[in-house]
Amino acid sequence: MKPIKDLLTIGALSDADILSILDNAIAMKEIFTKSVKKVPVLKGKSVLTLFYEPSTRTRSSFEVAADRLSADITTFSVSTSSVVKGESVQDTIDTLMSMKMDYIIVRHKNSGIPGIIAKHSKAAVINAGDGSHAHPSQAFLDAFTIREKFGEVAGKRIIIIGDILHSRVARSTSLILKRLGAEVAYMGPGPLVPPTAHTGITRFTNWEQAFAWQPDVLYMLRVQNERMDAPFFPAGDYHKAFGVTTERLERIAGENLVIMHPGPVNRGVELCDEAMDYSNSLINTQVENGIAARMSILYHLSPQTKNHD
Amino acid sequence: MTKRFIKNATWAADGSQIDILLEGSSNMSDGLGGSMPVSGSISPTGQNAPPADAEIIDATNQFILPALVDMHAKVSQPGKSSSLAIKLASEAARQGGIGSMLVMPTKSHSFDNHADLDSFRDAVKEQSCIHMCPAGHISIGGKGEQQAPYDTLAARGVRILSDAEHSPSNLLMLQRAMRYIAELGLCMAIRGDVAALSHMGSMHHSETSYKLGLHGIPACAEEIGIETLIRLAKDTKAKLHIQTVSTAEGVRILQRAGDSVSAEVALHHLIFSHEDIADYDTSFKTQPPLRDKSDREALLAAIKEGSIDCIVSDHTPCAPFAKKQDFHTAPQGMLGLDTFLPAIYSKLIKTDKLSWAEVIRACSSRPAEILYGHEAHDFIRPLILFNPNVSRSIEASDLPSRCLNSPFLGAELLGEVSFL
Repeated sequence: MKPIKDLLTIGALSDADILSILDNAIAMKEIFTKSVKKVPVLKGKSVLTLFYEPSTRTRSSFEVAADRLSADITTFSVSTSSVVKGESVQDTIDTLMSMKMDYIIVRHKNSGIPGIIAKHSKAAVINAGDGSHAHPSQAFLDAFTIREKFGEVAGKRIIIIGDILHSRVARSTSLILKRLGAEVAYMGPGPLVPPTAHTGITRFTNWEQAFAWQPDVLYMLRVQNERMDAPFFPAGDYHKAFGVTTERLERIAGENLVIMHPGPVNRGVELCDEAMDYSNSLINTQVENGIAARMSILYHLSPQTKNHD
Repeated sequence: MTKRFIKNATWAADGSQIDILLEGSSNMSDGLGGSMPVSGSISPTGQNAPPADAEIIDATNQFILPALVDMHAKVSQPGKSSSLAIKLASEAARQGGIGSMLVMPTKSHSFDNHADLDSFRDAVKEQSCIHMCPAGHISIGGKGEQQAPYDTLAARGVRILSDAEHSPSNLLMLQRAMRYIAELGLCMAIRGDVAALSHMGSMHHSETSYKLGLHGIPACAEEIGIETLIRLAKDTKAKLHIQTVSTAEGVRILQRAGDSVSAEVALHHLIFSHEDIADYDTSFKTQPPLRDKSDREALLAAIKEGSIDCIVSDHTPCAPFAKKQDFHTAPQGMLGLDTFLPAIYSKLIKTDKLSWAEVIRACSSRPAEILYGHEAHDFIRPLILFNPNVSRSIEASDLPSRCLNSPFLGAELLGEVSFL
């Protein structure tokens, strides 16, 4: 396996890379379910988290993962108000280079920014979400969770439901699941589900089609009002039309379907309250597996920082 | 008077072998940014012997054609003075085989008043090595709100009006402006665009925009715009030129409109498609965006059959630091002048997509007619010699514009231009 420096997209990885990261995530999960949660794998290495967008889960998940591998963690505070345009990203890159970090974990509202940082940096750059482009660590934790639940991903049917157009999670998670042999479909309000000609993924626009497809997993996306410049669908109808309502939950439970969600959940929008306590919901498992997957990602990458100049 | 005898050249328009005897040199300025008319005579190869006092130039396997006329270029560069920008653009144009061009108004070249037009003309006289004429603004400052002083502009020789990349969205203002300029015999050059549909996007709505997670610009934003402009021009009897048509449906709308409107396509829309953006290459961020391969084929066919009249550079220099930003933030625009004819030859003629005759019509005769009427002067179209046997890997030092947003950086292009 050729060592890789960065994790920017799922598409850039070989099958061997994907399988290795997923396999090692099992071992990583074993580590932190024991009483001693730390291993010295990244002792003396420095990890920087650089989040231009607000995030609670992903950022703390990466920080916990790095901590359990004994790395030193620095948080680079980027006040969103002071960063107006991309010029500042160029300046930030220069600053980062001077800090000689080994790993840079970056999130930005504009697609492609982690790639620009990776190009100019010897540090291993991990894309923690860029615009509507990619969120590869989420893809790994989702694939890991499905694999853990079903034994394997191949042959499973996963339907991703919600705002596909703006979702980096939908893009990355669908890519990894397809690479592992699963079937993926999209469902959501018409303007928010791109045509199959663009995505290569079957497109549904109502629950009847979704149930008829006989999925194994319902992957609910967050309705991201912050990414919408103008209304894409009639406000107020979302839960009724596309959410897991109390009635739909009965059918879902009857068919023993699994519910996943990348969090944070908008209660009463994507999921009704009862769905939060549904026995076949993997939402909390996803959070736990996120740490294991991110430990495995950090372990897998090879920063080129031995000879920092 | 210097005499030059060019022998064994190929007359690009019909492929015939010719000799040319020239008196005078195109390096002498006419004081208007163009060059002095060169007088000469053309004869079939071998028919006339060279005069004893003539310099003999062997042009075997080289092409001779009229210099190209570009109907759409921007010359201003952020951070550079207006006169330096004019100088650099003219050098780039000359390297690309262009002898005359229409300069779009921009923030730094605001052609909505006589003072700015005069100072532009003065700078062109001093700095430019090609003929440049300004397109006047349609609205004050290009803001689309209030009509520019068309009589003043016309009195200063302006024949074409444009708000450059902005298509006026205030249709009442535009309709009244068209009605006014119809009486003055001016022509409006506008690109089709409904900003409400396009302003969020940074590339063509396509599988690539999905893959890269970028907001898409739908083709219909341009097509509805074109349809609207044609309808308004018909209503007002104004002369209309549609700028940078980029979609197949746009071509069909033009075909339905017939000869009442003229139209242009940017060279990059004949060569590239949205896939070329690959991994967020900001040099390929243009307005309108690079479209589908099927659009590209329709645009080439439209040049062949004449429903699109001209091929233009849509030259837009961008500061290198600006294009180093992420794709969404980076400005739109591509260099076009520097490599214009070598790119046309390498990507369209050599690959049998267009013939020399079609290229000369679309890049020289038709734009000259639209810009200057049928009395297009020799100084606007001097002859150029094109040597297709020179192959060059394009580097930053090959771009007189001194910007880096060329799609051909690192690519191999054939051909070298010299003005006769």
